[in-house]
Amino acid sequence: MRLQACLLVAAAVAPAQSPEIEFFERRIRPVLVEKCEVCHSSQLAEPMGGLRVDTREGLLAGGASGPALVPGSPESSLVVTAVGYLDPVLKMPPTGRLPDRVVEDFRVWIAAGAVDPRDRPVEASVESGDSLAGPGTPIEEGRQWWAFQTLTERVVPEVSAPDWTRRKIDAFVLAKLDENGLRPSPEAAPRTLVRRAYLDLIGLPPTFEQIEAFVADPSPNAYPNLIEELLTSKHYGERWGRYWLDVARWAEDHPTSEATNRPFAFAWRYRDWVIEAINQDMPYDRFVQMQFAADRMPGFKPSDMRALGYLGNAPVYHKDRRLSRDVIETIASDDWDERVDAVSRGLLGLTVACARCHDHKFDPITAKDYYALAGVFASTWQVNRPMVALDAEKARWLTEQHEKLYRIKGVYGNLQDLDTVAEELHAQIIAMKPEYEALERELANHETPMTPAVIDWGVWVDGSTPTVTRMDLRPGQSRNLPVFVRGNVANPGEIVPRRFLSVFEPGRPKPFADGSGRLELGAKIVGEAGPLAARVWVNRVWGWHFGQHLVRTPSDFGTQGLKPTHPDLLEDLAARFVSEGWSLKWLHREIMLSATYRQSGRVREASLEADPTNRWIWRVTPRRLDVEAWRDSILKVSGELNLAMGGPSAEVDSDSPARRSVYSRISRGRLHPVLQLYDFPVATQHSPIRQITTTPLQQLFVLNSGWMQARGRSLAASIPADLDSDDRIVALYRRVLSRQPTAREVELARDYLAERKIVAGREPWDEFAHGLLGTNELSFLN
Amino acid sequence: MRPYRDRLATRRQFVESLCGGLGSVGLAGMLGKPLLAGSDGPGGPHFAPKAKHVIFLFMTGGPSHMDLLDPKPALAKYEGQRPQSVDLRTERMTGGLLPSPFDFHRHGQSGIEVSELLPNLAGIVDDLCIIRSMYTFNPTHTPARNLIHSGNIASTRPSLGAWVSYGLGSENENLPGFVVLSPGARGGDLWRAGFLPAEHQGTHFNHAEADPEQMIRYLRNDVLGAAAQRDQLNLIQSLNTEHYERVGGDAYLEARIRAMETAYRMQFEALDVFDVRKEPAHVRKEYGQTPFANGCLLARRLVEQGVRYVHVYYGPGQPWDDHKEINKNLRQRCPDMDQGSAALIRDLKQRGLLDETLVVWGGEFGRTPVSEAGDGRDHNPYGFTMWMAGGGMRGGVAYGATDDFGFQAVENRVSIHDLHATILNQLGFDHERLTYRYAGRDFRLTDVHGVVLDELIA
Repeated sequence: MRLQACLLVAAAVAPAQSPEIEFFERRIRPVLVEKCEVCHSSQLAEPMGGLRVDTREGLLAGGASGPALVPGSPESSLVVTAVGYLDPVLKMPPTGRLPDRVVEDFRVWIAAGAVDPRDRPVEASVESGDSLAGPGTPIEEGRQWWAFQTLTERVVPEVSAPDWTRRKIDAFVLAKLDENGLRPSPEAAPRTLVRRAYLDLIGLPPTFEQIEAFVADPSPNAYPNLIEELLTSKHYGERWGRYWLDVARWAEDHPTSEATNRPFAFAWRYRDWVIEAINQDMPYDRFVQMQFAADRMPGFKPSDMRALGYLGNAPVYHKDRRLSRDVIETIASDDWDERVDAVSRGLLGLTVACARCHDHKFDPITAKDYYALAGVFASTWQVNRPMVALDAEKARWLTEQHEKLYRIKGVYGNLQDLDTVAEELHAQIIAMKPEYEALERELANHETPMTPAVIDWGVWVDGSTPTVTRMDLRPGQSRNLPVFVRGNVANPGEIVPRRFLSVFEPGRPKPFADGSGRLELGAKIVGEAGPLAARVWVNRVWGWHFGQHLVRTPSDFGTQGLKPTHPDLLEDLAARFVSEGWSLKWLHREIMLSATYRQSGRVREASLEADPTNRWIWRVTPRRLDVEAWRDSILKVSGELNLAMGGPSAEVDSDSPARRSVYSRISRGRLHPVLQLYDFPVATQHSPIRQITTTPLQQLFVLNSGWMQARGRSLAASIPADLDSDDRIVALYRRVLSRQPTAREVELARDYLAERKIVAGREPWDEFAHGLLGTNELSFLN
Repeated sequence: MRPYRDRLATRRQFVESLCGGLGSVGLAGMLGKPLLAGSDGPGGPHFAPKAKHVIFLFMTGGPSHMDLLDPKPALAKYEGQRPQSVDLRTERMTGGLLPSPFDFHRHGQSGIEVSELLPNLAGIVDDLCIIRSMYTFNPTHTPARNLIHSGNIASTRPSLGAWVSYGLGSENENLPGFVVLSPGARGGDLWRAGFLPAEHQGTHFNHAEADPEQMIRYLRNDVLGAAAQRDQLNLIQSLNTEHYERVGGDAYLEARIRAMETAYRMQFEALDVFDVRKEPAHVRKEYGQTPFANGCLLARRLVEQGVRYVHVYYGPGQPWDDHKEINKNLRQRCPDMDQGSAALIRDLKQRGLLDETLVVWGGEFGRTPVSEAGDGRDHNPYGFTMWMAGGGMRGGVAYGATDDFGFQAVENRVSIHDLHATILNQLGFDHERLTYRYAGRDFRLTDVHGVVLDELIA
């Protein structure tokens, strides 16, 4: 309570910052934090020499050598003696004298009375006044942007043909069609609709029998029942979970150097958690929060730990320990930057990473906002954690040992070439190998399933040893980052408390107080920023259903992005999505039961001419299947798809077992060529949208790859050989395209088989089957 | 842009051509028939073109013009200082002026000064049209690269190569019109077709491998011979045509039908064309045998076969991004770039191809005359150097100038849009008339900008 009161007072007074405080914040505090606190902090159990420089009190009290500071008298202040290297023994920092400018700054500061605002408790410290969210600031103006407004349901507009509409969505769509002089398309044929629904919801084509049953059902409920049935299929989560994995840039290894950044052993556990959560229709707000802090949320079950893979499987860049502290700190800050970017663009459609070097030029996001978020990630560390119930002590021990093993093995991998490291370190490095091998053996005895997660450890970079830079991890401590001026870690500015984006926090943003702040961050994304998070998610889901988004820049809802084509539709749908408990399955129903979704995909020339990109949704745009649905379709019709769920990944082109594509191994550094060929996003960063390309190289795969040929053979072999030719043709058509062939198609097939028989001496059913698998009809969704 | 109705007519003809080619007596009617030529496009150049092909040698990362092609003796005089005139905002922290560690000498009849790092390019300097006054609008790699590739800093517009492929159509239906040679296999965002028809997007090959079967996966069919495969493909294509008709036709379907045809033809053509090892030893020696040299040589082989546009990346990553150790890094990196680029010009010239092939060299921006990290240079969008050769450009020209230190283009400034306008002009296009209607308006590569550099045209 008292803290809160303090904050309120501070906020109400909002004093213009005094020049003395500003001097301290810009010139002194960063040096204390970066150069001194590694050894002299009250956060350390035993600060060296008993000196604590992280409080004003500590500096005044000093350590073993006496008071560090005498305000007004630089000559009597030990800190000046030490940083000036004026004493033959007392030289600080020991790694090298600081530049003259810095030494002079200390003199000036002390001479002017050593003003130090840190006599207030750390939590109560407030940011300096510039670029905060007062009236008339860019933040306040920026807040007027449509995407930051509260969500409200909209009134159904007047339309030309109310009879056409089936759901509320339709009125908004029809209103725009009316405005643009367009008409909706007729409803798609039942056969088209059933295939569309299957591929859309579960990513697998319906069988011939499933289609026939649907077509034969005269009930008006046939279609809604079909949607309901598909939504309860366990394969639904495999399809829609995979979409989320694009947003979450999920992969199983790091983009750089396997020697030091070895692949995640259990990354697949996060993937499985996502599939399960989607299948259970976990409310989206909870789904998001759990990925930041499942371990801190009410109702936590040990298997929920897997949710932390969102951060725990994030890419980490190679840090060669021979590089200088500043370089390593830069690479570490690239890691944090990746998190800021994935979180802000992925969940909020905001390009916060633009504010790494300067305030965002177009959107109400400051550089301080950026570092306030980055601080959360500088206060978390990736580590495997147990996903079963254990006593707390055992869990902690296992977590730490896994971390230690990973780190030591990585450092050894990095430094094992001893020629490149100073000789005095050789013994230490050599000792690492037996150490980690012993640890490996020890941990092998524990059969506790572990999962990639994060833990609240502050991350610093320790450059105090010449020639080798260390990661200085501090369990339980959090790190507030300074604004790195123009993104340069060697130029730290004012320190920013960890907190949420100021545009969402009218008044003064409150610093995070709970550990790293990830629990609060997750809560705020779906809380204070909830309306935007809902808009962004609803827009993504719309895009996955229709192939085109309402906001065609799905990860940029800022002023540089595009505005929605159907603003009222998006607002209304997002508002109802939230009031329906953030239910994704509700959203599917709302969309798929609409007349808009049920339209035919057939081209109408006049409409195509008026609206070639189908902005106004006068039809459903046909599109190429993505690689997952395409590959799964082929394996399903060839009779080889193994539908087992979950578990470790397999290569995308492995034959046995041929599992659904969502279980393919995903590498950041070496994405499988087949996935590359078919536009699978590179998971080194968040992917807003999949490019869908059609290239000759893809067709070389279709025509020539051993994988495709093998599918043709399996398919042909799965049709009883005792059928006569025409029956075999029919059977193959039913399997591959889930329909009867036309008379013309039977004729083409007969001709082909006959002609090939003359040349090859046999009826080449495997080649014919392979050909069917290569057709457009199988590859496109219409 | 061609009226929409014409495009529809083309589509109908296309379908008819497919059906007509597939007689009921066997399926061999398609064999050898170039039925897929003449796809959507503006129907050829607006006026008589000088060039038919473009090879863009892209120096990813932004090479340092003051150390290569734009000598600045004043840097030595004011070493370490930061005069007011060069106190420009840079992406990262920069210090005082950093002189070039390299000597420059005059070469050729034109007497243009070239750095000691580029002896081979110096030898052909009379064929180069050097522009020392380029500027761009963004100091950051990704936006600046987008701009030079597509005329816009966002990653949404069609790439230059896609525009060229769209504008000129294919000259050889066995090969893609727009080929990208890049040793890094990252996503195709720089060679995208954007809103242009998908068939115009760049087809990427990893030219770090010299063996085509390594370079192009799935190039060979181990099961079927050429004739058998043709039969199988005819079957697929006739089924695709039936399907296309049945569902009412769609550009995406059409693109895949075409792509499949190209793929089939590529596997025969490619084994030859993509195999630089088939070049005589003396030619390979001329170019050198590094990945970049192979890229240059391959580019020549591809344009010989009618590929319209070849984009060769000096990569992977962004090697020319010399934030530090400019001296050491450029010494290491320049020799193969110099040898490969110069060999390409000489080779094209010797074969009489230089007149019809426009070669363009450069990166997304240049580098600062002020130092970064003591011995490196930061990104410089204000002024940098590119060169062109052949394709109807003048040779032995050093056009425009940066200030005394090489920071800003000050004389005859040339924007990326001007460069694009000039490239299109050499291919016979009025850049203001090469348009594509999308999202309610006509788009151009040069948007509302761009001036053709008439002074530089032979």
